[in-house]
Amino acid sequence: MQAFLDAAAVIENDAVKAWKQAGKKVVGYSCSHLPPEVFHAAGILPVRLRGIQTEGMEIGDAYFGPFICSFPKCLLQQVGMGQYAFLDGVVIIPGCDAMRRLDECWRKAGNDHKHIVPGWFDYLDVPHKSEGHGLRWYQTELQHLLTRIEQYFGVTVTADALRESIDTYNRGRQLLQSLLEFRKRDNTVVSGSDVFAATVAATVLPREDFNRQLENWLAELANKDPLASNTKRLMVVGSISDEIDLFQLIESESQAVVVAENLCFGVRHAGGQVATSGDPIAALAKHYLATSICPRMFGKYKERLALLKQIIDRYQVQGLVLQNIRFCDLHGSENGLFERDLEAIGIPCLRIEREYGPLTETGRIKLRIDAFLENLD
Amino acid sequence: MRPELMQYNFDWMMAKTLDAAARFPMGTSKETRLALNYMPYFQSIADTFYTAGDPGMQLLNLLSTYYKNILNAHKNGQKIAATTFCQSPAIFYALDVVPVTFEVLTALGGLVWKRGLFDYMDYCCEIGMTETSCSSQRGAMGAYLAGLGEEIDLVVCDTPGVCDTNANAFSFAAAYLDKPFFQLNYPSSLGDPRSEQYHLDDYKALISFLEEHTGKKMNYDRLATILTAVEEQDDLIAELEDMFMLEPVPMPPIFNLAMYTGRFTFCGHPAFTRLLKSMLEWARELAGQGRSGLKSGRENLRVYMCYIDHYTVDMNFWNYLDERGIANVGSILTRNFRDFNTYTREFEGVGYSLDVSSRDAMLNSIAQLNARLPMVRSIRGPYDQPNMWLEETLAIAKLCRAQCIIYNGTPGCRNTWGMVKPFAREIENQGYPVHIMYGDAFDDRVESWEATRERLDEFFQVRGLL
Repeated sequence: MQAFLDAAAVIENDAVKAWKQAGKKVVGYSCSHLPPEVFHAAGILPVRLRGIQTEGMEIGDAYFGPFICSFPKCLLQQVGMGQYAFLDGVVIIPGCDAMRRLDECWRKAGNDHKHIVPGWFDYLDVPHKSEGHGLRWYQTELQHLLTRIEQYFGVTVTADALRESIDTYNRGRQLLQSLLEFRKRDNTVVSGSDVFAATVAATVLPREDFNRQLENWLAELANKDPLASNTKRLMVVGSISDEIDLFQLIESESQAVVVAENLCFGVRHAGGQVATSGDPIAALAKHYLATSICPRMFGKYKERLALLKQIIDRYQVQGLVLQNIRFCDLHGSENGLFERDLEAIGIPCLRIEREYGPLTETGRIKLRIDAFLENLD
Repeated sequence: MRPELMQYNFDWMMAKTLDAAARFPMGTSKETRLALNYMPYFQSIADTFYTAGDPGMQLLNLLSTYYKNILNAHKNGQKIAATTFCQSPAIFYALDVVPVTFEVLTALGGLVWKRGLFDYMDYCCEIGMTETSCSSQRGAMGAYLAGLGEEIDLVVCDTPGVCDTNANAFSFAAAYLDKPFFQLNYPSSLGDPRSEQYHLDDYKALISFLEEHTGKKMNYDRLATILTAVEEQDDLIAELEDMFMLEPVPMPPIFNLAMYTGRFTFCGHPAFTRLLKSMLEWARELAGQGRSGLKSGRENLRVYMCYIDHYTVDMNFWNYLDERGIANVGSILTRNFRDFNTYTREFEGVGYSLDVSSRDAMLNSIAQLNARLPMVRSIRGPYDQPNMWLEETLAIAKLCRAQCIIYNGTPGCRNTWGMVKPFAREIENQGYPVHIMYGDAFDDRVESWEATRERLDEFFQVRGLL
């Protein structure tokens, strides 16, 4: 477990360093709508871009305007500080308005801060609808992306290699599903912070390493004693977060345990398997776009609400923390609808607007969480 | 929301106000003056319209008709679709659906009411939207979500991927009201065969959605009539847009507003054709005399608003331009990117054409027209890519001989605030002084008009422009 916490705690973790020392390539990507399998199959380590460890915002603020969420700003800050100098390439995905502008801001920052723009700078145009022509568009985008990877990195990615990568990633998804089973128990044996660290680590570790570490951890958990029995079972929902310390804050003093989350870095796709037969690109497109539950896929609120209700039942959730980063209107507004519809059926909700990054608002958030937990009594 | 506001229907009040304003000048000047006493806060606004002569009256009538159509829709067996300014209403008219364009109604409310639409904006936040959501939708939308307007039957937007904040507002409205929702979305590129095909496929899906939820089939004869009217309107618009290149600009600032308000509300409708003809007649006459359309008749400065104009409150911005002798040579909302327009020739392959020779040709025409509406055309991709915002801004500023460029939007505009700083630097590097306005085009509470005016004055002074 410590390996996951270590990997999730820093941008350039030991596994990334070892990968680079072996002379292999690393590519960063900005959104969960990109299938990392396409890089894995090319022998490239895909690393999800994150904004952790930020200590200032002077670079982020110099390019992004003031009314922009702090996640892309923190990310750009770290880019400008050279924290991503290990990248050989990057793919920007228009996950939302702020994240798609990371494309321009990163490139323009490269004029002022030398060596921060990798040699390969790419853009994957992901549509906002997951059926029919939307799915076809995305599938073609993936095909074109693969071609560009092959051309730039001088590799050949066969269909068989893609299927093998899908198998490897599917194995990780199965293991994550097994991990979730522990959370369903009346007295869970695993903290939300640890599970979340594992899911974040999944996006920054070589997949084989991740799978092996997770297998080991699952074996340990099988014999582990339950956590304290009087804890409240919470679910965390909303804006992008890879902040383990946010979960630790919620779970501090053992009053609560996070038994589920619906976050971009969380276990959204666990259990779902990518088809291993047929065209692998078509299978990846179907999995990563058609199963998307991000509010960027507008008009699917009812489906997302139904999913939340399902998770709430399955994990015996007693209360929801609906958080959004300031200026994240997609999650913030949807949280308003969730609050209306879930409170109406007796599920307590706490809405929090916050900043991404170092927990500068620890006191305020902790106070509100504590008050919420008291109300759950 | 304050309880007293819940006593009055928003669209009814707006319709009555505009209807009365449009009728007052039918009396004698004394009658008009006395009648205006009953609309104390609207007097100066109404006067701006009256001063603009027949075009001003045409615009008032058009806006009044727009509201009356909303009020009468259900009585006439028509469905009402909530939609956005960058979605052409032509398709709704072809399917006998009445559009309610939130941004236009918010802007209009800001122009007409003393307090703007602040209470309705806040109502959206009371029921769950973030306060950082765009004010352009939150204004009128708040009234409809509060049940203070005709019932919305369906929701259509076309901004996912271009302005997610906009799309999110419509998605929220549909979920909140539990109404059918459809979104057109656009790729990041424009003009290539793959993008054009996507536009067409998406548009066909929209028509299926509208047919399903209105119970009406697409009437292609009606669509042909509408597109033929659009053809005539595009011709008129092309000539009016060329007028922005003249020195001095022979049009009052309000003509700019009229051009795009008409297009967003009555594209393909005879009322808009009449307005355009009236404006063109006025502009031709002034152009023939070499006169400016400004009140003073003297043009001191030419400004290009590279994004949108400013709408709060009492037409302050428009009157400010007039008072300072500043010609507004347009904004991103002004241009329609018809293939024969002068500036469109600067951007190979990005204009649209109209063809009514067959059903498929008509569908493709309206799909491509829709994909060239403001914002969804040039802010869909990275700003520095071919045919996108930077190229558009520089080309139009050059053609219209703008002396400076001003960015104005709303704090909710994530897609432009995400890159306006490097965008502005690049424009400055091209020799244009740039001013970024940090207020809100629809909400004076973000920055008072007085502060906005001070900053504009300071910019013009410091940069040696006025």
